[in-house]
Amino acid sequence: MNTALQKDAEHTLIVALQQGDAAAYEKAVREYSSGMLAVARFYMDAASAEDIVQDCWVTVIDAIEKFESRSGLKTWLHRIVANRCKNKLRSNKREVNTDFSETLDPELANRFNASRRWQQPPRLRFDESADVLLENGALSDCLDKHLSALPENQRSALMLYEAHQHKSEDVCNILDVSASNLRVLLHRARQRIFLMVETFQESGEC
Amino acid sequence: MLMCKDLAEIASDYIDGELATSQNLAIRMHLMMCRHCRSFIGNLRVSTDLMQAHSSVAPDEALMRRIDQRIAEALAARKKD
Ligand SMILES: [Zn+2]
Repeated sequence: MNTALQKDAEHTLIVALQQGDAAAYEKAVREYSSGMLAVARFYMDAASAEDIVQDCWVTVIDAIEKFESRSGLKTWLHRIVANRCKNKLRSNKREVNTDFSETLDPELANRFNASRRWQQPPRLRFDESADVLLENGALSDCLDKHLSALPENQRSALMLYEAHQHKSEDVCNILDVSASNLRVLLHRARQRIFLMVETFQESGEC
Repeated sequence: MLMCKDLAEIASDYIDGELATSQNLAIRMHLMMCRHCRSFIGNLRVSTDLMQAHSSVAPDEALMRRIDQRIAEALAARKKD
């Protein structure tokens, strides 16, 4: 791991941003916008999320001067997005729709019998690693399709935790969910991905 | 006794090392005896790795350029002050 190197690079980038370096902004926008968009999509539709991310970048220009590096640039940016979304929702009086009562995906839950044993066990064993599986472009496309079909809250949790490698407490902070609810979101999302890969591996169909 | 469905409910917590020692032990005992759950945990692990390997959908370049534009305007406005 080259975390020290990454920290140095991040520090250099932050200093450049603080100095108003346009090239540094272009670099940062490309590196961090996808994560910021994922956070915003937790709260609102695609078009509004894009607006929020644009507005946030403009506020970053002033806010970065007071940046303290305790949490890292990525987490800091994601928190700005989340706070802006929450404020906007508050003024719109819109509620975020979440269901944390079920730990199992309904489709998976139906595969057990009344004595809680497998009735329809996993149909095969994925015997290739994720990297090898992803070399199949069709599976990668299928993954994209299923990701965009996930409920927003599950998708954002998955994006932040797995794809963007945030720590649990950061994700809870950013999305404003409890630790136990985050666990439910992650587990539900992973089950959907499991079901998708199973179907794909068995039938070649998405 | 821990049944297959119970295990499925806490499978992600097991994979992420979020369970208490006693629960971990119960799961390991179950896995020794149950090949279906072994497959399930293995497959869920691969699914989790898939997400880590699959980078998130990048916003389109048009959005990036709109952001560049707004930042450039804001920086220019600030220089005037
Ligand atoms: Zn079992």
